[in-house]
Amino acid sequence: MPRNPRLEAHHFEALGTNCSLFGVGISRDRLLEGELWVRRLGARLTRFSPDSELSRLNAAGGRWVAVSAETEELLRLSLRAFETSGGLVNVAVLPSMLAIGYTRTLSSGATPATLGRARRLPPLPSVLTVRRGGARLEPGSGIDLGGIAKGWMADRLRERLGLNALANLGGDLSAGGPGPAGDGWPVGLAGVTVMLHDHGAATSSVLRRRWAALHHVINPRTGLPAATGLDEVSVVARSGFDAEVIAKTALLVGPDVARSYCASNALAWRLEPTRGWEAA
Amino acid sequence: MKAWVLKGGATLLTLATTAASALYVTSHLKNSSAPLQPTVLTSAQLNAVTLTPGVQQSDVTPVTSTYAS
Repeated sequence: MPRNPRLEAHHFEALGTNCSLFGVGISRDRLLEGELWVRRLGARLTRFSPDSELSRLNAAGGRWVAVSAETEELLRLSLRAFETSGGLVNVAVLPSMLAIGYTRTLSSGATPATLGRARRLPPLPSVLTVRRGGARLEPGSGIDLGGIAKGWMADRLRERLGLNALANLGGDLSAGGPGPAGDGWPVGLAGVTVMLHDHGAATSSVLRRRWAALHHVINPRTGLPAATGLDEVSVVARSGFDAEVIAKTALLVGPDVARSYCASNALAWRLEPTRGWEAA
Repeated sequence: MKAWVLKGGATLLTLATTAASALYVTSHLKNSSAPLQPTVLTSAQLNAVTLTPGVQQSDVTPVTSTYAS
């Protein structure tokens, strides 16, 4: 690849993961501003800080809570993701996360699981209501935005960085413009390099954020960690948000349906079956 | 025409049709060129990266990757 001296890169840790920003023809200060934006928005959307907007919503006990425009948009998109995924992508997953012991950042370690408390997830529209500048959550419900927030943030950040930029927030990425050499942004997907233009990519996996026999991808039908015959799905789609939703949906529908689902919804994909799995 | 002729003709026609059908289906157990045969997937097939025409593969070094975190 011809080396382009105008390619700027900036790497940092935020959102509990590694983040990378790239831009062609933009200043390093712009990338640093991008990092600040990620940290500010991440602080609003995390469930691990009691002062975040999301934690205030989760703790409101059914009362309306004022939310920022960004949180409002993300909650509205979460409702859309619930519909487009047939209910499989459901951010009302917090009670299950707590039941499996994911009560704090995994760098601090999981706490003992209380799987008996895990329940089938409620339909998101039945527990979450969003209006201009506010949101309300039914008592007993809780939201964890997880990868959806990262995919959406990658899209918004890429737009903020400029016409020729790429934002990668822990593997959820969004690329825009012709890339460093004019033929797209070269991005690795399961060992293959693909050239992204105005695309997003995401990977959903049960192989990371895993402890004991548990992991963080919840089957909404049971409220427990999913075991579908797929361990990991990587996807390229029109945006980082779409890629995240498609990857998680494909992971949850399992190998028999995931291929046709990806063929209908994704631009590129790779499915990793669970070891020992074979098609019926 | 006598009734037994009609009955006999109908019986013969039925038997002949049954025999012909049996011969046909036993000699056409599988049509290898039949369309819309579902593919039997293997783990290796699922593991491969599938690209649509909207996304090109390249041999250049990626600047970053998608991964689980």
